[in-house]
Amino acid sequence: MQKLYLSGNEAIAYGLIEAGIKFISGYPGTPSSEIIPTAQKIIKEKGIKAFIDWAVNEKVAYEIAYAASLCGIKAAVTMKQVGLNVAMDPFINSAYVGTDSAMVVISVDDPGPHSSQTEQDSRFFAMGAKIPVFDPSTIQEAYEFAKKAVELSEKYSIPVMLRSSTRVSHGRADVKMEQLMPLDSIKVNFKTLKDWEKKLWRYAATPRQRLMLHNKLNRIISEIESLNELKFFFNGPLLLISSGAVFSYLYELIEEYELQDKVTLAKVDMPYPLKNFDFSNFQRVITIEESTPVIELQLCTEGRRNGIVPKEGELTIEVCEDILEKIGLIKREKNFFSPPLKRPSLCPGCGHRIALYEVKRVFGKKAIYNGDIGCYTLALNFNVTDTVLCMGASISFGFGMKKAFSLAEKQQDIVAIIGDSTFFHSGIPPLIDSIHYKVPFLIVILDNKSVAMTGNQKTLSDDKSSLGEITVPICIEDVVKGIGVKFVETVDPYDFENSIKILKEAKKYLKEKAEPAVIIFRHLCINTKEGLELNPKYRVKISHELCKGCKVCLIEFECPAIEFKEEENKAKINDPLCIGCGCCIHICPKKAIVLLE
Amino acid sequence: MKIVILGKGGQGVIFFSRIIAQAAINRGLSVCSTEIKGMAKKGGTVEIQMKIGQGMCGLVKKGSADLVILLSDDLIDYAKSFGNNVFTFKNDEIQAALEKVSMRFINTFLLGVFVKRAKFFDSEDFIKILDEENRKSFLKGYEYVQS
Ligand code: SF4
Ligand code: SF4
Ligand code: SF4
Repeated sequence: MQKLYLSGNEAIAYGLIEAGIKFISGYPGTPSSEIIPTAQKIIKEKGIKAFIDWAVNEKVAYEIAYAASLCGIKAAVTMKQVGLNVAMDPFINSAYVGTDSAMVVISVDDPGPHSSQTEQDSRFFAMGAKIPVFDPSTIQEAYEFAKKAVELSEKYSIPVMLRSSTRVSHGRADVKMEQLMPLDSIKVNFKTLKDWEKKLWRYAATPRQRLMLHNKLNRIISEIESLNELKFFFNGPLLLISSGAVFSYLYELIEEYELQDKVTLAKVDMPYPLKNFDFSNFQRVITIEESTPVIELQLCTEGRRNGIVPKEGELTIEVCEDILEKIGLIKREKNFFSPPLKRPSLCPGCGHRIALYEVKRVFGKKAIYNGDIGCYTLALNFNVTDTVLCMGASISFGFGMKKAFSLAEKQQDIVAIIGDSTFFHSGIPPLIDSIHYKVPFLIVILDNKSVAMTGNQKTLSDDKSSLGEITVPICIEDVVKGIGVKFVETVDPYDFENSIKILKEAKKYLKEKAEPAVIIFRHLCINTKEGLELNPKYRVKISHELCKGCKVCLIEFECPAIEFKEEENKAKINDPLCIGCGCCIHICPKKAIVLLE
Repeated sequence: MKIVILGKGGQGVIFFSRIIAQAAINRGLSVCSTEIKGMAKKGGTVEIQMKIGQGMCGLVKKGSADLVILLSDDLIDYAKSFGNNVFTFKNDEIQAALEKVSMRFINTFLLGVFVKRAKFFDSEDFIKILDEENRKSFLKGYEYVQS
């Protein structure tokens, strides 16, 4: 036994590898992104042979890992909760077809949401797909449940979900671990000539056979359900049921307010599938869970549906206190006010900022800017993003809106803004439609050769895998031209004159040729070591005399290294924050921002 | 013990939390914490809530922290919403760190200052887990407080 101070995601990685998982795929997404890098680190250190790396999107990641599990290798796939939406097709299908080894689906939820588009509950989707789901309450459990999920999946030959959440995945604790690393060799088995017919009906099932598979799945679920027990703590007449991180908050509050003989707390390790329990000896039964009534619906208790538990927002400890107060268990003395924190902005010197400033300069404020998921969503702060929906939607929105306006015979400039990784993830299909239907709008691809927002994971333009194997770099220009786009230009956005020139050409092309145009702005993310080292370094100053305090540099450009001194009515460079990229010299209408020497 | 550590990216919030956790674990205490990093990388707020020797989750309720370590002065109001015992470094201490040790060891110098002045932890707990160079810098910080 060893104790390590691990994050929930790190603990999950250890649990998976210790349980014999040898194949992990996934797509980065906060708060799930650290599982794959940790698993890579472990196999490197321990000399374990395995495939662990990122895929182009969650659907592909799911199918890659699932195929490995059908060949007898224990496999897992990681994603954030909205990534599960992308993987929904194979996810639901694989429950019917089942596995031949373990297949663990790790989906990390983000109630709040802290860094996501929705507060959706992956447990609810697991229930919809009839896939059992574990819901760890602590970091220790994240480690243990990862192993349990592998065991359960292996035992019943169906996929099993491990659902985590921001608080568990990004929490840290001392974790007791076995650290027994399986070094067994990998064995595969799929197409056996003998008896192949007997197996084949599952892998390529017809609708009739699907019905039989569904029946088989139902039988497996009933059996798992019958063995799924609750754990009870304390012994009061009021029963509170919970799972996940919220359970740990309730446990702490019951101890803090000494409610041990007023409340019984039931813990659900596996929120689906649940059988019926006899709760007749309790006065009241209330489920407090995040963020959809999954347990509540199955056990038919009070909770969200009768308004005791809020229908949106994270169930923080403070919200759990509110709930206990509402049901008359406690009285609180005071509420604490917490001031809002500063909104985030792009890093000083980020290539996205200058690129999007240039786009705005040429296409103007009246253009519609359809944004996408990535750091560049923050261009919202300086008015170069009007919509953000989900991965890849910038380009589909460009198509849909341009068509809508042209049906009404109204001229409207439209710009889709998408990062390199998001483009590969789901920007290519809508670009195919856009070129096919000749829809004239500008597609701006911001290529910083990094999945920056989620912690700088590798991208498809790298020539090495995360484990150092040679890969074929995918060239965005080739992809775009291959689809049939004729206007394709690449420029470093730091090159201001050239960028403006190309943007003007694109604008002209859209008008004259009435087909989509693509501009690739390529500049490394300066939040990486390489990107920062290669970045130009100037000394920049704002002239006290020339600055007229118009705030254009703040409102239209928003570099965090430019501050405003209200007393003096002047802008000023905050030297420790400034990385000396020199981009801001193009912004000031009074030419007050200048390079030194 | 409930601790909150607040600051901006790159100010050592993560360093402080990891080293305090390690010291506590070496003493046989349980540690759980939660990390909230804002979306902005540079200059974004980093917040760690931590429980030592108690609790199941790292979350610290507003108004209940035994100690708030604040590394960025502009977050003072936010810091106070967790508790009144807010520890900040004085200007002369930061200046001393910049002068007396090289960039790489500023964090351990300040850790020394913190351990001495906050009187929350035993210096031995940290001396044991630091490598030689860091230990030297830690002790410089520790001794600086007396003078
Ligand atoms: S992490 Fe990279 S892409 Fe994201 S804001 Fe910072 S510099 Fe820009
Ligand atoms: S530096 Fe230029 S843009 Fe910024 S406030 Fe002064 S005059 Fe306006
Ligand atoms: S040079 Fe200008 S744009 Fe670049 S980081 Fe400094 S202040 Fe920001």
